[in-house]
Amino acid sequence: MDLESLTIKDAIEGLKNKKTSIIDLVKSCFARIDKLNKKLNVFIELNEENAIKQAKAQDNDLVKAGKEIFNQKPLFGIPIAIKDLYSTENLRTTAGSNIINDYVPPFDATVVKKLKNAGAIILGKTNEDAWGHGSSGENSDHGPTKNPYDLERVPGGSSSGSAVAVRTNQCLMATGTDTGSSVRLPAAFCNLVGLKPTYGRVSRYGVIAMASSFDSVGHLTKTVYDSAKVLEITAGIDPYDATSVRKEVDHYTEFLEKPIKGLKVGIPKEYFVGGMDTKIEKLTREAIKIIEKLGAVIRDVSLPHTDYAMACYYILVPSEISSNLSKFDGIRYGSERETFGAEAKRRIILGTYTLSSGYYDAYYLKAAKVRSLIKQDFDNAFKDVDIIVAPTSPSLPFKIGEKANDPLQMYLSDIFVCPINIAGIPSLNVPCGFINNLPVGMQIIGPQFEERLLYQVGSAFESETQFYKVHPKI
Amino acid sequence: MNTYIPVIGLEIHVELKTKSKMFCQCDANYFGKGPNTNTCPVCLGLPGALPVPNKKAIEWCILIGKALNCTIPSVSKFDRKHYFYPDLPKGYQISQYDEPIAVSGQVSSHFRIHRVHLEEDTGKLIHSGSDTLVDFNRSGVPLVEIVTEPDFDNSEDVKEFLEELHTIIRYLDVSDADMEKGSMRMEPNISLKIKDERLEIKDRELPNYKVEVKNINSFRFVKQAIEYELERQKEILDKGKIPIQETRGFDEKKVITYSQRSKEEAQDYRYFPEPDIPPLEFTKEYIDSIKVPELPVQKLTRFISDLKIKEQDAFILTRDKKTAEYFELVTKKIGASIESQAIANLIINKKVTLHLSIDKFVKKVQELRAPKETDTKLLNTSIIRIIEANKKVIDDYKGGKQNALMFLVGQVMREMKGEADAKLVIEELKKQLQ
Amino acid sequence: MITKKDILHVAKLAKLKLTEEEIEKYLSQLSAVVEYISKLNELDTENTVPVSHITGLTTVTEEDTKENKRQLSQSSALQNAKSTKNGFIKVKAIFSGE
Repeated sequence: MDLESLTIKDAIEGLKNKKTSIIDLVKSCFARIDKLNKKLNVFIELNEENAIKQAKAQDNDLVKAGKEIFNQKPLFGIPIAIKDLYSTENLRTTAGSNIINDYVPPFDATVVKKLKNAGAIILGKTNEDAWGHGSSGENSDHGPTKNPYDLERVPGGSSSGSAVAVRTNQCLMATGTDTGSSVRLPAAFCNLVGLKPTYGRVSRYGVIAMASSFDSVGHLTKTVYDSAKVLEITAGIDPYDATSVRKEVDHYTEFLEKPIKGLKVGIPKEYFVGGMDTKIEKLTREAIKIIEKLGAVIRDVSLPHTDYAMACYYILVPSEISSNLSKFDGIRYGSERETFGAEAKRRIILGTYTLSSGYYDAYYLKAAKVRSLIKQDFDNAFKDVDIIVAPTSPSLPFKIGEKANDPLQMYLSDIFVCPINIAGIPSLNVPCGFINNLPVGMQIIGPQFEERLLYQVGSAFESETQFYKVHPKI
Repeated sequence: MNTYIPVIGLEIHVELKTKSKMFCQCDANYFGKGPNTNTCPVCLGLPGALPVPNKKAIEWCILIGKALNCTIPSVSKFDRKHYFYPDLPKGYQISQYDEPIAVSGQVSSHFRIHRVHLEEDTGKLIHSGSDTLVDFNRSGVPLVEIVTEPDFDNSEDVKEFLEELHTIIRYLDVSDADMEKGSMRMEPNISLKIKDERLEIKDRELPNYKVEVKNINSFRFVKQAIEYELERQKEILDKGKIPIQETRGFDEKKVITYSQRSKEEAQDYRYFPEPDIPPLEFTKEYIDSIKVPELPVQKLTRFISDLKIKEQDAFILTRDKKTAEYFELVTKKIGASIESQAIANLIINKKVTLHLSIDKFVKKVQELRAPKETDTKLLNTSIIRIIEANKKVIDDYKGGKQNALMFLVGQVMREMKGEADAKLVIEELKKQLQ
Repeated sequence: MITKKDILHVAKLAKLKLTEEEIEKYLSQLSAVVEYISKLNELDTENTVPVSHITGLTTVTEEDTKENKRQLSQSSALQNAKSTKNGFIKVKAIFSGE
């Protein structure tokens, strides 16, 4: 069995049919980690000893319980990585930052608990833009992660380490967070499936907060099936998170084979009005044609307030960031506030300014109103169509350092992804091709809690195109 | 020379005695626990932790609002109030800003309540030698903040108001309201305005400064602190200056207020709606379902008019709800056989405990009222002895002074160590004095 | 527009000590951002209700209970503090007049 390019689905099959063992899976991942971690800068903290111990114990359990164990523990034996923004009990958690460089949480995030209960094995904590601040991976206090398709380019962020870990088979799934781009962009830049779930679909408890009303707890995988399988575990209301929603968790994997004939797909015209790399636009339109070929009905939709999304985002998000980072005072954990990196300081200053006396109405309140308008845009569009398809990034993965000196430029590269977080709706990035051997992704966006529709379309597209099979030469 | 009118408002914090804290399940009763043994990720402010509001705390805040005759709006929410201090783990306090749970109330005819809202308590700072130490056991305990309008113009009114408020809170059974333990804290805001007879009341502006006094932990000290402050501010105003707007502490030994930190650069708390907690919506049914029990002032009125006992006794009985309820229960059960005033006297003079069952109470009453077994031999010898020792008093009595008789009765009772029936003593004494 | 005074004031509120260099850098970077976000003034939001919660959830509460599954031991609570003393967390001296 080729352990070098497995999906979760393959791994489970292999374990069920005794073609491989859990210890083999885990050891093969660590071999890849040994080989590639330094070069790519993927992991901040490894959990090798525990993972090996766990793998051996679980192999014994598997022998005793047989295949039935996968009914209670659907991810049994699956090696995974956790973004370093998630609290992991007794496992160092740094948020990619120097401030809590030696912080060891005394508790697990709810999602971590759920994944552990499902039998997954945590290999380590992945690198990221510190605190989630960034869309390239360059803002990590531990150095940037590299794109495996081109080591001089960024892998996207902020879940940069998670993306590269999955793409280079250092694990089979990695968790991420998406506040404005941070799962979908690295998924697009690394040829992966990345889910940003509906805000409130997955518990935020234990995930270090960036912008409380935007943070969505997602994950990255090679295939749509794998992504759906993981969401079945992570989704659901949590009494520890007052913003999580009581809504039945669908059996997402069961929607993957459903044909998309007759499904109405909206193309937002404001997303195609220039500023985008023309090759990306061409590729995206080709992808849309494929979806049409599969039976979907393509329609134009309008999201009239698109132009204001970034301004709205860059008021509300830094405001919440500045507030959420107030707890880092160096007293109960971490170092003094001087240790914050430049991007964190920048956002704290901006956010404190927009919340400060005399400015609150002009900025925060105004932006909260515009947020209403942007949500309304999507609500209205979804009256005419079932899902919306849009590009994920206006540009190809750029070179490390290329955008570093112009924060505003960097912020504006999130133009296609941020509005989704403003509206609180779900979006799935699926690979949609390559340009100059660099991956390009596409978003499948749906109404709140309609992740099963995203998976349905994503799966149909993936079966037709199979881009996930194009591995980086590393 | 100016005349000044004091302008005093009050801010009172009440710690609720819910089972768990405001936003987590840690014990709200932190008293006496070892440092930092009563925390969890939420109240310790660990990264990733999230608040979920305590339903009971919300209910009790509404209850307090209703008891103070406030309006309970149908929507409310929590907000973040930002400032840095070592005892504030998140760098912000979850409180309420512009949509508090209760508004516009009244206590008695003169004193208005501005608002009542819910928030979380901070940890505690302790100074040990040159170190400052922090204990987070108290962090996250539910606090109700009651803010009055600046309707007070003298310290005695303030003291009476606070005492009444204290009794009301205890009646509601939502807090121990123990000032020494810190479960009730009071901060008066004090300023003076110049009395200008030429202006209509409504044209007299509020003063353009106010001084807040903290760390006062008894009603008596509040009165003293206010009196000191009014004098201090008067002196400054007389010189033509304006007192600095600031927060001051109270030194109970020296009976003075002292400067703590100036508020000239007003704190910018950067309030914004708490994104981790969805807004609260209350239906009319829900608000109506929260019933305010009969309050002290209502009971007082009833005891005087219906149960026919003296006002000062009714006041004493109604200072504690359990006592008042016990009194009423006993009075009803016993019926007309024993006067309510007599029952009141027994309870007030602590001749009975409040745990006594009704039957036992009746027995006790009869016991206390029954003529005391008197040792007549001893009585005789006592009376003879007292008469011998008090010739002058006897002359006074014979001269018409009734008080003198009672004095002698008292002396005899003392001799007999109280073990004598008073009626009998009086009878015997009179006999002997003839 | 955002001024150096604004940056200094805000840095104080946010408890960030900035170097001269940092102040200059952030001033120019943030001026551009602040100018950009003022774009929202182009929109008429007079009659728009701000989003209070994107999920539409209201009144989420928890029962008052003594059962605490997340209780931390003293050592867990203190395990990440740089300085402790007798179970307390030690901080830089705050004068009691503070």
